[in-house]
Amino acid sequence: MNTKFRAKAMKEDNNSDKITRKEAIQKMGKYAALTAVGTFVILNPLKAQSSSPPDAGGDPFD
Amino acid sequence: MFGDHWILWYTISNSYSIIEPEFKLLLDSYLESNSTIDFSATISDSIDVSNDITYSISETLFNYLEDCNRPYSPQIIPLIPLDKSYRNISKQYHFEGKTIQIYYNSELVLKTVHPALAYCCIKSSDVALATFDIYLKDEDLYLFKNECLISRVSKHDYHLIQGKFIMQLLCTLHDKQESDWIGTFHGSTITDGNSSILFIGESGKGKSTLCALLAASGFDLLADDVSPMLSKDKHIYYNPLAISIKKGAFNVLEPIISDFDSLPLVKFNKTKGDLKYIPCEKPKNNHYPCHAIILVNYKPKANTSLEKVSVKTILETIIPESWLSPNPKHAKQFLDWLIDIDMYQLTYSNTKSVTTEISKLFKQLNKKL
Repeated sequence: MNTKFRAKAMKEDNNSDKITRKEAIQKMGKYAALTAVGTFVILNPLKAQSSSPPDAGGDPFD
Repeated sequence: MFGDHWILWYTISNSYSIIEPEFKLLLDSYLESNSTIDFSATISDSIDVSNDITYSISETLFNYLEDCNRPYSPQIIPLIPLDKSYRNISKQYHFEGKTIQIYYNSELVLKTVHPALAYCCIKSSDVALATFDIYLKDEDLYLFKNECLISRVSKHDYHLIQGKFIMQLLCTLHDKQESDWIGTFHGSTITDGNSSILFIGESGKGKSTLCALLAASGFDLLADDVSPMLSKDKHIYYNPLAISIKKGAFNVLEPIISDFDSLPLVKFNKTKGDLKYIPCEKPKNNHYPCHAIILVNYKPKANTSLEKVSVKTILETIIPESWLSPNPKHAKQFLDWLIDIDMYQLTYSNTKSVTTEISKLFKQLNKKL
């Protein structure tokens, strides 16, 4: 299931690491885990160079 | 890791993701699991949650990774020949011994680029280092450099033509290729002759006004609106375009900028209203290292305050409005640069105290040099 992404993350399987992680999740607790899963931000840069985009209604070519 | 946050960069999508250590822990655990069942078992063994909740966590992580791995598709430029019959207006611009020729097809199209460069406009018989053509054909704007199509966009996306033109102008003036740049940040950069500070912020928050004030108070403008960073040295390079000032800031600048009244008014569009373009003296060097980013927030009657701000706040402002190269080397350089710099939020209304504050910051930054 996760092979697709695992390859991209270039992670090595490591048992001792896994145990530590399990302990860390335990320590984090239920509520922190539930909150944490919704805290990510994904930011995409522009695909092409740009100057300041026009304000709403401010297009001189309208 | 930056303070309390991890920043991940995804090669396939050129996306940057900001996550907290707890999220990173769940993500690492998910990536190490052999299956959803394996991951759910790890979660259930660790914390007391129902199967529904472990399924929901695993689904969120899957969707997150899917979003971060959407392939980045570079723009394909079609092979369209230049139509010289659109060369109705001819202008030459002179930049320290380098002449650029631009042809426009109408006064409206001329307004996309010319007002910010008008101060360099001369009549010259010199051989141009590069020739640009910008014209409107049907509903599209075209930009050619030396008769090769660089960009074709809908006329309503004229800011992309401006951006591409600036990129190509910078390449010409600094003798670089587009692939040499880490990115072009949406922000203005000021130098004190030793290093530089990048000012970012939403439109209307006073970036350009502040930079015009600082440029009139002993600092030099390195770049307005588009601040390019080169891979070779991670420096910000000189962008010759004049500072664009909206009518709302005229009263702040009139008493400070000499000959402000005599600068021509440019009617660009209905919303922005009248604009003025302030040309600034070129800094001594073409490029400077940048050691700080400041998020600008002009608030009438507010006391001047310069406070440290999180990398998350800075990146949420700068990344969606900047072009950043998808080259892995450049992405790493961008992140390496971020680790080394200071990040602040500036609230101001008083022009004198803001200049003092920035002078102090430059002194502080230069001690690290």
